[in-house]
Amino acid sequence: MTDGSAIAGTERVYRHPLAVRLWHWVTAATVVGLLFTGFNIFNIHPRLYWGEVGNAHTIPIIALESTETGGPRPTTRPAPAALRLGSHLWDVTGHLGVVADAGEDGLYFMIVATPDSWQFGAMRAWHFALAWMLFLTWACYSVYTLVGGRLRRTLLPSARQVTARAIVQDLWDHLRLRAPRGEAARHYNLLQKLSYLIVLFCLIPSIVLSGLTMSNAVTARFPELYALFGGRQSARTVHALCALALCMFALVHIVQLFVAGFINEVRSMITGQFEIPRESGK
Amino acid sequence: MTKPVTRRALLVGAAAGAVGLIGVDALRGKLSERVLSASQSLTIRTQRILLRRRPLVREFSPADISVVFPTNGTTRPVGDDYGRLAAGGFSDWVLRIDGLVATPLALSLAQLRRLEARTQITMHNCDEGWNAVAQWKGVPLGHLLKLAAPTMRANYVVFHCMDKREDGQHYYESIDLFDAFHPQTILAYEMNGRSLPVAYGAPLRLRVETQIGYKNAKYIGRIELVDQLDRFGKGRGGWWEDADGAVWYAGQ
Repeated sequence: MTDGSAIAGTERVYRHPLAVRLWHWVTAATVVGLLFTGFNIFNIHPRLYWGEVGNAHTIPIIALESTETGGPRPTTRPAPAALRLGSHLWDVTGHLGVVADAGEDGLYFMIVATPDSWQFGAMRAWHFALAWMLFLTWACYSVYTLVGGRLRRTLLPSARQVTARAIVQDLWDHLRLRAPRGEAARHYNLLQKLSYLIVLFCLIPSIVLSGLTMSNAVTARFPELYALFGGRQSARTVHALCALALCMFALVHIVQLFVAGFINEVRSMITGQFEIPRESGK
Repeated sequence: MTKPVTRRALLVGAAAGAVGLIGVDALRGKLSERVLSASQSLTIRTQRILLRRRPLVREFSPADISVVFPTNGTTRPVGDDYGRLAAGGFSDWVLRIDGLVATPLALSLAQLRRLEARTQITMHNCDEGWNAVAQWKGVPLGHLLKLAAPTMRANYVVFHCMDKREDGQHYYESIDLFDAFHPQTILAYEMNGRSLPVAYGAPLRLRVETQIGYKNAKYIGRIELVDQLDRFGKGRGGWWEDADGAVWYAGQ
């Protein structure tokens, strides 16, 4: 974890072109906004279902539920709450779950209380604006990385990386939290490449398509989307699980910054300049 | 070696920071409005291309109808006027269609029931995330609009509702003529084969199937054709739009 700029003889390479750096930071900010607004949208109906239909009177697969008899709108505080995963229930009373009074609309069961100024409708409006941002910048970046041959050069695993020996070595290095040095640090390592490929060509397309499956107008034109996800509520559940997967990716991504050298990694994503860590013992 | 930070640099930095914050603050209101309106117009333009051949939303079979259909928003309008109408089976209720039309109309429930009708089993998708399936029967809005003959200046259809919300304002909603003439956009007076119950918007509610829950105004009393939406409420085109920052075009 050394920033070896003071050490003479270290080699600097221009690692990230401007387009990559721009896309990275715009996407990082957009995803933070989408997770924030998305969580607030989920908060008002924290129940996930499988199939076409799901509401307070049907059984969810994942949910924060009131254990008070009388359904999803409890009357006592703190709200008696249970986290449901399939048929398993964990009591989370006092930790999660609040009753929100919505005047004429009665009581709502939510994960956490949010300030009144966080208008639910506005959260949705921002979510859609940010979704456009994510989609348009993703489309631009995908074209850039595919057309320029960058995908093959930087993201697809090289023949040398997919030998049994190299795969075992890469896994072992990750388990020991050992970042590549010297020659190996010139390229992304195997797990790094796979995680970027999964985010770029699996998670982002899935989250966009499952989001669009919740649109009445889009599904009027493309009803196939319902079949793709197995129903509207399934699409909503896939959407939420993809968001969870993006959170996990972001977490590991940030932990890896510290493993590989925080200053060097962050600088390379700001200025493009990356310092090759020297082989140990040289 | 880096130079120590001078007092001058510190002051210049602080001043620049303050100016920046004021600038951001001044822009914030208007900038966010501009961003959201750009996003909405991108959505509406894209979806208009997708809907240009007027595809229908999915319709379901009677077996798919939800046993319990959750109620939302107003479930019983307060006030003597509504109570009197409901007590009389809405026989004294009249739907007025006016504004920018060549032929203003006033129709009773019995007259509406004699007009061309459409029955559809569709999915109601609330913006909160839940949904339910029901059968709706009613007059295609496009058919009524043809009878009223909107003038060239008419752009929007405003639905004035009989229920008052907690802020004292009557619920209202609006859609444009494109969505108003969609074949599945109907004014429903029946739900699941029975007269529309009070909790679901009796005597008449909108079903605009290409859009989401809150656009489907209940307890309709008057339909007004207009060129601009800015003279209603806060000018954002609907009660949730005004009170909660909800998007006006809710095709998503």
